[in-house]
Amino acid sequence: MAKKILIVDDEAHIRMLIEQTLEDLEDEGVEFLSAENGEQALEIIEAEKPELVFLDVMMPKLNGMEVCRRVKKELQRNNIFIILLTAKGQELDRLRGQEVGADVYMTKPFDPEVILAKAKEVLGIEN
Amino acid sequence: MVKINLKSFIKKAETQLLITSVATQLKASVTVEDETGKTIYGTVDSVGTNSFPLTINDEIIGVVKGDDKASIIAHLLTHLLTKEAEKKKLGAEVLNLYQEINLIFNFSEKLAQTINAADICTVTLTEARGVIPCNNGVIVLWNEQLKKLQVAASVSPSLFFSEEKINEKVNLLSHLILSGQSEIYNNTSALINAGIVLPEVHSIIYSALKVNHRVMGAIILASDEDVQYTAAHLKLLTTLALQSSAAIESALLYEKNIKEAKEREEAMRLVYEVTGKFVPYEFIGALGHSVITDIKLGDQVEKIVTVLFSDIREYTSLSEQMTPEENFKFVCSFNERMGPVIRRNNGFINQYLGDAIMAIFPGTAADALCAAVEMQKQVTEFNVERKAAGHKPIQIGVGMHTGPLIMGITGDANRLDATTISDTVNIASRLESLTKHYKATIILSDACLQLIEQTENFHLRHIGLVQLKGKQQSIKIHECFSGNTSELISKKQKTLAAFNEGVDHYLNRSFSNAVQSFSEVAVLDPTDSTAQFFLTHAKQCLQKGVPENWGGVLEMSSK
Repeated sequence: MAKKILIVDDEAHIRMLIEQTLEDLEDEGVEFLSAENGEQALEIIEAEKPELVFLDVMMPKLNGMEVCRRVKKELQRNNIFIILLTAKGQELDRLRGQEVGADVYMTKPFDPEVILAKAKEVLGIEN
Repeated sequence: MVKINLKSFIKKAETQLLITSVATQLKASVTVEDETGKTIYGTVDSVGTNSFPLTINDEIIGVVKGDDKASIIAHLLTHLLTKEAEKKKLGAEVLNLYQEINLIFNFSEKLAQTINAADICTVTLTEARGVIPCNNGVIVLWNEQLKKLQVAASVSPSLFFSEEKINEKVNLLSHLILSGQSEIYNNTSALINAGIVLPEVHSIIYSALKVNHRVMGAIILASDEDVQYTAAHLKLLTTLALQSSAAIESALLYEKNIKEAKEREEAMRLVYEVTGKFVPYEFIGALGHSVITDIKLGDQVEKIVTVLFSDIREYTSLSEQMTPEENFKFVCSFNERMGPVIRRNNGFINQYLGDAIMAIFPGTAADALCAAVEMQKQVTEFNVERKAAGHKPIQIGVGMHTGPLIMGITGDANRLDATTISDTVNIASRLESLTKHYKATIILSDACLQLIEQTENFHLRHIGLVQLKGKQQSIKIHECFSGNTSELISKKQKTLAAFNEGVDHYLNRSFSNAVQSFSEVAVLDPTDSTAQFFLTHAKQCLQKGVPENWGGVLEMSSK
């Protein structure tokens, strides 16, 4: 079965950037999914069961923290690796990120190389 | 060149849906193969004789096979693939820009963490080497004062010459670097021939470091491999250069400010040190201030203090034998000995008045008396030196009184002076004058003596009453002879009882008894001039008689 990465961000250009960053993984058979808000993200997670989720924190409707909390704490989906993304300067959220069960916490602007390396590591893809 | 993964594209749900629905509508049977001929849509056994290419920018990346109608699907897919390619191309460009933003963001963050010019140069060079292919780099700064280029950061081992060697070519280099340009040399032969770079250098890229059109130096990267630098590299390097220039400028300004502030601080410290010598800190402190700059006209404080006056006996005749310069040196060497004695005993010198010293003891009266005794001992030592140098010995008289004193700042807006206003000062000064008449070395008022707790530490004797000039009340005075030589002290101790009796008889107008007592003292100790003084007075009183209201008070008409 193809491995899936879900990218959740309300800003289209960020979704595009992450997808572009991870482009090479397509050749490894990785499938990209995207959602533009928290509710949509939860639906896709339920239906598609992605291995890895890039989750923006600041989003309308359901924010990333809440999505993460539901997936990790309520649904107990511990096999879904969640990377929380937040804008620089809001690092105070880090502690809350840990509380809601996020696996990794990253700040935007992100370093594309770091993101690619992390995705490869999570999906078990050799460099 | 944008690369599209045809398999992923075909596998997408929306693509699948599109092909299937169009094929159904057209009643066409199609297969899609990638460039290697592998079927990625449909089944291999589908009927298909025609082959229609799928292209992106005229490049075939796969084919659609089937009957004639398959061409419609091929066109449709080609169109979608072209759109997908455009989207990817745009995405790649945005990612590129994003990477630049990320780089600049991180760089700014690192710059913000340092305020040291050398560190900023190191950070800049490290960052530049991280994004631009090179195996060497250097940051040179132009030192305007020394007219030299200085290496602020470099990678070692360097492909560049040493700072020394660089400055041999300073004219050529500064022409290149200080022109404020940024350049790429993918062919360095001209630079090698000019002796500016080492022969190993293959490619060079550099950018000027400048602020407000002032060129302060350059960041130079080089490689000994076949690297072709591009406009994109140059753009990155100039961006880094621009950022670090501003940071370096701030850092240099900061360093300059710190240096200047330290110099000003040092100058201020010196001024404080010197002013502290003119106006004692004890004085400023007593006014409730910590620094002299805080004092203002009209500041004042009243305290109970002991005022000590000392004066060199027969200074006038002594100074007549000296040139003004010798005189000055003499007073200086005398004061140099006395100052520390006063400070050591918790006093401070309020004023040097030629050969006289006025000191204030805000603590105890005993402090002042200790100082007076030590001062007398210092004179004895001083005289040993004077004798060795063939000079006459000197003597000082010390007078002391304890009472209220106002310390304050008087003068006018443009000329301030630290002044003491007090009757206590006058009394102390007059008691000092009395030492000449009584031939005593230290005279203290009874008010002063009453405040000394351990009088047993001192050799004291009562020397009667005195009415000072311009004063209504007479005051009781005492002599302290602790400052005398031990030989004199023991003599005075032996005659102390007789002396005290003499003073009592004298004050009780029993002058014949007084004459007897003082004669007794004079016989035992002919050097006791104070006893001689009383003996003379008692004899006079005995001869001439005294008025009815005589109370034993000596009236001092002179100051």
